[in-house]
Amino acid sequence: MIRFSLRTVGLAAITLVLASIVIFIGVRLLPGDPAQVLAGEQASPELLAAIREQFGLDQPLWVQYLRYVGEALQGNLGMSTRNNIPVTDLLLQRLPVTLELTALALAVAIIVGVSAGIVSAVKQGRFPDYVANGLGLIGLSVPSFWLGLIAILLFSVTWHVLPASGFVPFTTDPAGNLRGMVLPALVLGVGLSAVLMRQTRSALLGQLSADYVRTARSKGVGRGTEVRHAMRNSLTTVVTVLGLQLGGLIGGAIITEQIFVLPGFGKLMVDSVSSRDYPVLQGAVLLTVTAYIVVNLLVDIAYAYLNPRIRLNGGTE
Amino acid sequence: MTAAVSAVVPARPRPQWRRIARRFLHRPMAIVGLVLVLAFIALAVVGPMLTSDPDLQDFQVVLSPPSLAHPLGTDDLGRDVLARVANGARVSLLAGVVSTAIALVVGITLGLISGFYRGWFDAVLGRIVDVLLAFPFLIFAVGLAAILGASLTNVIAALAISQVPAVIRIARGEAMSIRDQEYVSGAIADGSRDGAIILKYVLPNAASAFIVQATVAIPAAIIGEATLSFLGLGVQPPNASWGILLTGAQQYLAQAPYLAVFPGLAIALTTLGFNLLGDGLRDALDPKGHR
Amino acid sequence: MTKRTLAAGVMALAASLLLVSCSAGSPAPEDSSAAPGVKKGGIATIALATEPDSLDATTANTFSAREVFTTFCEKLYDADAKLNLVPQLAAELPKVSDDGLTVDIKLRTGIQFNDGTPFDAAAVKTTLDRDRTYPTSARKKELAAVQDVTVVDPSTVRLTLNQPFAPLGAQLADRAGVIMSPTQLQKMGDNFTNDPVCVGPFTFQKRVPGSEIDFVKSDYYYDKDKVNLDGVTYKFIVDPNVRAANLRSGDLNAAEQITASDVPQLKAAGVDVQGVSTIAYQALSINTDPTTSSNPLAKSPELRKAFELALDRDAINKVVFSGANTVDCLPLPMQSAFRPSKVTCSKLDPKAAEKILKDSGEKLPIPVDLMVPTGQPGEKTAEVIKQMADKVGFDVTIRPVEFVTSLTEGRAGKFEMFLIGWSGRIDPDGDLNDIVTTGGSNNFSRVSDPELDQLVKQAAASNDVKTRAAVYAKVLDKIDEIKPNIYLYHDKWFLGMSGIAGVGYSSDALPRFKTAYLTK
Repeated sequence: MIRFSLRTVGLAAITLVLASIVIFIGVRLLPGDPAQVLAGEQASPELLAAIREQFGLDQPLWVQYLRYVGEALQGNLGMSTRNNIPVTDLLLQRLPVTLELTALALAVAIIVGVSAGIVSAVKQGRFPDYVANGLGLIGLSVPSFWLGLIAILLFSVTWHVLPASGFVPFTTDPAGNLRGMVLPALVLGVGLSAVLMRQTRSALLGQLSADYVRTARSKGVGRGTEVRHAMRNSLTTVVTVLGLQLGGLIGGAIITEQIFVLPGFGKLMVDSVSSRDYPVLQGAVLLTVTAYIVVNLLVDIAYAYLNPRIRLNGGTE
Repeated sequence: MTAAVSAVVPARPRPQWRRIARRFLHRPMAIVGLVLVLAFIALAVVGPMLTSDPDLQDFQVVLSPPSLAHPLGTDDLGRDVLARVANGARVSLLAGVVSTAIALVVGITLGLISGFYRGWFDAVLGRIVDVLLAFPFLIFAVGLAAILGASLTNVIAALAISQVPAVIRIARGEAMSIRDQEYVSGAIADGSRDGAIILKYVLPNAASAFIVQATVAIPAAIIGEATLSFLGLGVQPPNASWGILLTGAQQYLAQAPYLAVFPGLAIALTTLGFNLLGDGLRDALDPKGHR
Repeated sequence: MTKRTLAAGVMALAASLLLVSCSAGSPAPEDSSAAPGVKKGGIATIALATEPDSLDATTANTFSAREVFTTFCEKLYDADAKLNLVPQLAAELPKVSDDGLTVDIKLRTGIQFNDGTPFDAAAVKTTLDRDRTYPTSARKKELAAVQDVTVVDPSTVRLTLNQPFAPLGAQLADRAGVIMSPTQLQKMGDNFTNDPVCVGPFTFQKRVPGSEIDFVKSDYYYDKDKVNLDGVTYKFIVDPNVRAANLRSGDLNAAEQITASDVPQLKAAGVDVQGVSTIAYQALSINTDPTTSSNPLAKSPELRKAFELALDRDAINKVVFSGANTVDCLPLPMQSAFRPSKVTCSKLDPKAAEKILKDSGEKLPIPVDLMVPTGQPGEKTAEVIKQMADKVGFDVTIRPVEFVTSLTEGRAGKFEMFLIGWSGRIDPDGDLNDIVTTGGSNNFSRVSDPELDQLVKQAAASNDVKTRAAVYAKVLDKIDEIKPNIYLYHDKWFLGMSGIAGVGYSSDALPRFKTAYLTK
């Protein structure tokens, strides 16, 4: 187990280093640069050169990268070219918003998705199963930005029950904060609920038809106990799916934050693409990728722990 | 990392297509899915020939609701929405299907080779795939689209490239598990050429996994295209994809909701069709696994 | 920054009746606080379409930064609705010597920056010197004519010029005229933008990048009796639909850049909407440089003329902008005193256009690559233009390009035609110099005509309005002859307001909240 963990961690570290290079180069492949944005209408060659010098963009690429990595290892991700504040400060400001949004969406997805999945598996082939399946398919089929627009149109514009935007930090006004988060969390949670519902259902059905459950049933174990056991064994699948869906959740957060004007991570990324804010874009994507790698690493280790066969096969597969 | 998508899929004998087809046809929802998908493909192929020019602007009938002359109404430049939705089917399906097809061809080739031979190629490719998979799909696609610039070709490229790593991972897993089967070991022992083994044994046995992946990937790519359009990174006019139509409709959500309803429905129904089709195929191909 | 920066509208005149009811603004109506029913207190929430860049007037470049400056950074001069210069921090209009090389500016006395330090001639010199020498200053070019700044006495500064430069007053009514607190400049240095201090009705409180900037009422402002609000919060909401939705739901007190097609519905929902015709313009820049464009349009003014003849400006305005914009064929705004008294724009004439194309000997249709920044209304405008031009024998391909990319490609000459706007300037020099002069950084069409260069230079060197107007008439004729740009219209912008009154939105598209008050 320790050897497996070490190997997995090592691979993750290599992945992270390579990813940082991809990000660093990718950001610079965007047409234009921060100087073009900052100079705007006043873009004279002298001003462009002065701005590039100020941010060290006149240096060779490898020098810029090594400098960046050196600073990053000390926890310094550079200064935002657009806002003149440390990138780490900016990330720390934005992180709680996205964490709250994704946590709430995750909560929605787990509560709705897992329970619908259980109901649907237990009542297989009956009315609740069809309803859950139908809703699950619709949840998968509707684009989230479309759902967001419709939600704003209905809840904010027509019925005036929930705000269309306007983020309030939880610390200043908890009720206002939650009110503002209801629609985004629902919109973001819908897709994931559908995925979870379907996965829970199929894992649970698989388990319910497994030999040990059949044996238990023949011994007269009650339906509730049966489902409980099967569910425990289905958990690994659900955990894996959650890990795999994290990326989708982060991607969805970009769109959701854009529609509901939440000052989170996704919005920061989109904004920094259009302002060519290299340090912020690098920092934000790097942090996302790191989070993604770490979560999947934990999922891998948890999975291996829950299911020793994986470990023996020595496998990432 | 990201364990076990294929670890849970048991090795299976070579599928028997006729039996599978029969099982598939016994599922009403699967047939609904098939019909939906075929209907939209038909719309994409035939629709544009039957409807008027989707780009013809008529300033006399700007934003008119559905009528006999314009069954789905007209948009803000007086263009026929029916013609645009029909034409959009072509663009959206093209974006979804072509990008998925490219991703499958590239991903399966690389993944099968990697999983069959293992060794340094597998190690290197494995790293690259890990790196690419560390980027959430949408972030990757948005980044690529921003770098490449907005056009149908570039959007297809961006969507295809973002899908490749996942396909490689699946194909590699399939190749590994099939290679361990006795009939494959036997063929290797008999001295069959590797290429022949891959084509004769590995590919057909892995096919069902790829078909299922395609039915997941195509709708994801269609929604992906719509999302890129929404962020201003999608296809360019006059190529009106459903995503472009939706984005344009946004501005008139209150005045002319039908502008958003029809392309929105088209996306949802196509996606639904592919999802149902995928469910049906999965069940038919792997009756034991998930019901 | 997004596309709005270049396309942004600025000083404008209020030909429209809508503006009669609207108040305040640069020359604030002095009676607003005395009016009955004016409520004191409260914080107004305003949505801007883009986020400001730097809040340091030396480096700021975005239109939204200019909007925010009206709240906390006053300038030496301001412009009234007719684009006339009026003193703001200065006590009177600048005194220019007969040779045009010395400009004396008399300042208001006894006023303070928002940190309580005195505003005087030395402070003005500190700021102007910084603007002229700071490495990344965006003001260098605007103040290029200034050779030296001297303090004559505590309330007078003298600018010595290296050549007569008429547009100087206009520059001092823009960001170059914002005076920053020397104490704060000393304290913050390069980080002034993080805690900026100027003279203004409100003072900077905090900024949440990507989200909002908060201002609170200043205790030191010389005119603070007229300030009603306790504070102003600017939020940045890029999507016009979201701005409109928030306005209707009451989450916002004001939102700028409301889409023309949304106006009737907002009004029906009880939202007060005011419009101004801005001095911004939109144009088609045609690459006239054969080394970067192989299109026949690059070489032939005749073909460029044909393209213009194919365009129905009124129809574009009607379909894309609900008829709100002001159709025009000149870069100078309607309200400019330098506009020729009689302007005749060439009328729509597809037949004539077809004939020119046929006679050109080129193979028809002539393909044209039209680059347009992504988003609305640009793409929609391009689609309408395509249909019109294709009818007479062009074959337009629309190429929407993300805004920053379009600027990069535009400046590199990687286009044949480019739909791009200019936010406009009070002084005609700002609408021409650097845009139609050789090598200018905003000269997308790459036009290079020695005579045109000479005329633009000559016009800026005179301080006499009549003399200048005469030269500008020649400049405009020359532009019409070469046709590097096909000017389309001047933008009209709409400000939606809910639960707020006394907002200034008149002579420019900058909403001002000095005398605003909440009504709910």
